[in-house]
Amino acid sequence: MATVKVSEAEKVYILHGIRDDLRVDGRGCEDYRHVEIETDVVSNTDGSAKVTLGDTAVLVGIKADIGKPRPMVPNEGYLEFFVDCSANATPEFEGRGGEELGTELSNTLYKVFNNKHSVDLKSLCISAGEHCWVLYVDVLLLQCDGNLYDAISVAIKAALFNTKIPKVHISADEEGAKEIELSDDPYDCMRLDVENVPCIVTLCKVGHRHVVDVTLQEKACSVASLIISVTHTGTVTCTRKLGGGSLDPESIFEMTEAGKRVGKALHAPLMKLLRQEESLGKTRQKVGFLG
Amino acid sequence: MKDTPLSNCERDFLLKAIEEKKRLDGRQTYDYRKMKITFGTDYGCCFVDLGKTRVMAQVSCELVTPKENRPNEGIMFFNIELSPMASPAFEQGRQSELSVKLNRQLERCLRNSKCIDTESLCVVSGEKVWQIRVDVHMLNHDGNLMDAASIAAITALCHFRRPDVGIQGDEVTVYSPEERDPIPLSIYHMPISVSFSFFQQGTYLLVDPCEREERVMDGLLMIAMNKHREICSIQSSGGIMLLKEQVMRCSKIASVKVSEITELLSKALENDKKARKEGGRCGFAESMPQERITALKMDETSVEMTDVTERAKDIVQKTEAPPQLVRSPVVPVPGVGQVGQGLQNTWGLEEEDEEETEECDNSDEEQEEKVTKMEEEEHEKEASREGDVVEISDSEEEDVVILHPETPDKTPKNTESRSHQKGAAASKKRQKK
Amino acid sequence: MVCGNMAGLELLSDQGYRLDGRKASELRKVQARMGVFAQADGSAYLEQGNTKALAVVYGPHEIRGSRSWIRHDRAVINCQYSMATFSTAERKRRPHGDRKSTEMSLHLKQTFEAAVMTQLYPRSQIDIYVKILQSDGGNYSVCVNAATLAVIDAGIPMRDYVCACSVGFVDETPLADLCYAEESGGVSSLALALLPRGGQIALLQMDARLHQDHLDALIEAAMTACKGVGKVLDEVVRLHLKEVSVLTGE
Repeated sequence: MATVKVSEAEKVYILHGIRDDLRVDGRGCEDYRHVEIETDVVSNTDGSAKVTLGDTAVLVGIKADIGKPRPMVPNEGYLEFFVDCSANATPEFEGRGGEELGTELSNTLYKVFNNKHSVDLKSLCISAGEHCWVLYVDVLLLQCDGNLYDAISVAIKAALFNTKIPKVHISADEEGAKEIELSDDPYDCMRLDVENVPCIVTLCKVGHRHVVDVTLQEKACSVASLIISVTHTGTVTCTRKLGGGSLDPESIFEMTEAGKRVGKALHAPLMKLLRQEESLGKTRQKVGFLG
Repeated sequence: MKDTPLSNCERDFLLKAIEEKKRLDGRQTYDYRKMKITFGTDYGCCFVDLGKTRVMAQVSCELVTPKENRPNEGIMFFNIELSPMASPAFEQGRQSELSVKLNRQLERCLRNSKCIDTESLCVVSGEKVWQIRVDVHMLNHDGNLMDAASIAAITALCHFRRPDVGIQGDEVTVYSPEERDPIPLSIYHMPISVSFSFFQQGTYLLVDPCEREERVMDGLLMIAMNKHREICSIQSSGGIMLLKEQVMRCSKIASVKVSEITELLSKALENDKKARKEGGRCGFAESMPQERITALKMDETSVEMTDVTERAKDIVQKTEAPPQLVRSPVVPVPGVGQVGQGLQNTWGLEEEDEEETEECDNSDEEQEEKVTKMEEEEHEKEASREGDVVEISDSEEEDVVILHPETPDKTPKNTESRSHQKGAAASKKRQKK
Repeated sequence: MVCGNMAGLELLSDQGYRLDGRKASELRKVQARMGVFAQADGSAYLEQGNTKALAVVYGPHEIRGSRSWIRHDRAVINCQYSMATFSTAERKRRPHGDRKSTEMSLHLKQTFEAAVMTQLYPRSQIDIYVKILQSDGGNYSVCVNAATLAVIDAGIPMRDYVCACSVGFVDETPLADLCYAEESGGVSSLALALLPRGGQIALLQMDARLHQDHLDALIEAAMTACKGVGKVLDEVVRLHLKEVSVLTGE
């Protein structure tokens, strides 16, 4: 993460505030910042979404390509993740500076999303063992103000919801070789079912309390954090601990419970919003960055 | 390793000279340096000398699968290597800014202008095509690497012959040069790049900058053209601002230069073809001059001498009057030092004896080798200068003089010195024995 | 997806209309916005037709990294050009670091070194980062225009707006502001970065064959197109200034 220099006095101030359930910008410990989501921002892709969480801005583009399925699971497609920490976020990411963070983020994303419980990978199969859809999910970090995992996961969910995969017709040649035809009709497409796609909630331990959606300043005061990916039913699919500090087993339990609560509450309004945006259809004014 | 920086006075000198339309090597503003093109023994190997800048280009080919979106076209691959041989500032392996710039410029000049017919490189559409690879190596960096590289690359491509290929049904046979003659590449046109350097915010313009001029320039404009007056590529670099008129003027100059260079190029190719046909020896080793000890030849450059006499007179008039004449100057012959001999003691030290002996020893060692030469000089000098001028030398040919310490006139100085030398001569004789 | 053969497309029809219906000297629609990101010192987003670019400026600040780049009398400008992996029709594997991106970064640096008044900030560094979100031809020009707005947003003084535009030459007519289909159709294209008031060219780049006699007309067309872009950029800046001054209550 881009680092921010925080003085000792500021750290104490933040700690005391969180102890009393009052953060620097007035939120409670389990409140999110202002979130803005917009889908279908990049027209070159099959699905895209832009999420702004406070000052953190993330852009996700999904491209669907036909490829060979993995040998272990011949009747499933798969997802490929790539996180690009661009120099726009902070000059430290120039050149190869952002690669480390990028690989860390994409490894976590693989664990969370690339399994058959989160995304229906069977629907991505075209012909078992030979052809399948490969979804290349490219995440672009534009601004970095803490809480990257949450923003990225919301953006990926929105982009998957927005993805339109063209329908495929398989016809057999005289010699038996399979020919794949993609339908040219832009409306003749397959949509993905994103009900089970989880969202990631990051909880940071600041002092004795845990905080959701930390800014960079608050992150400088915490030593350890826990990432939980939660589905809309409240099931925890993946957990990971980050940071150099240690966590008490009891506090892990508390944080998991809090994460479940917060995550469950996140899904419903998100889906409602996405469906609302979709229903506007052509009348929706595409704003992108021009707003 | 870092390059030696350019001193401010060198920079000022160069800029002042350019303002007066004079270049370091005496060229005019639009002149190229002397260009020489030679070929190696293999087809496709070419050396270009542009003044002292030396560049080598080598073309090779290979059968590969074509790109997916262009299944019936061959592939061209260009690579420029800035080897540390060329200049201490180039580091091996690191892709510096200059390397990227030159590579991209060469690619754009040769690939985007479609000078080679890539479709003729196709063997089996979608499966096998020829990949032509051009490697350019910088051997010596004395400015204007881009022009030399582009000339070398296009000449090597013209010179190259690829193996002949026969197709029978599905089988593809590649014939070696012994079985069938290799065929040349089909080249539509020859793009050649001309570099213009700008000085003093674009006021002055030079063609073919040498390395020193490149260091003080503000910016560079590269125009690649062929002899049909078609522009293949233009690229401006460095932080200068150009005006449209300057660009138009440069393009006109470039067209003249390109036609000259293309002529030279075709002549060199023809000569080489003739030489190979006659069975004469050709190659890199042959092109190096044989009987010289040094590797570089220095050609005479003419220097403008028209106003030298007036300038000399001016300078002489303005100088101060020469210092007073000394009646009997003591002139040491080269190789001999003088300390504490009476007249010219610049060391200002009081212990004369020790230094004298030291000096004497030093001059002795030198004298061992230079005795014959010295003797000749001594004779000459004795003949030419008589009377006032006194010489101090270690020559053994001098007469031995007996000391007369109370003689009041100038002779004591002589004799002192001579006795000193006599002592030295005596010691030398001892050494010789 | 594999794209089809473009050979049959007519780049300039008999009635004088291009592939997307524009006339020969018409520019694409330019939309821009300054101050997109709060964290950076200056930022701008610019769309020219379907090509979208995001530019961010950090600086002037102390030189990071190697101290050997310090210039005692002026600021050092550091540029990076990169493309998002989803910006092109075929997915790009590496966002930056390949030769083309490095060359573009060098060109951007050269362009802005000529325009920014670097003597006012000795011993410091100005970073300009440009990201292409969607690529549909004229990448370099869009980058330069977006970066100009970002530099103005950061409050760094420049000699003049830097406007860039690409022109192509088809059937003896110069076409202004090429899109991707026209660029890849083998048309000779010229990219020009201009400071409109003095008519000074900061960068000139041309590929493909063009006869010398047409060069004059092509450069003229490019300069006119750049001046048009300059007018649009000027409007955007004034509008942004009005908005900001309303917000701060002046």
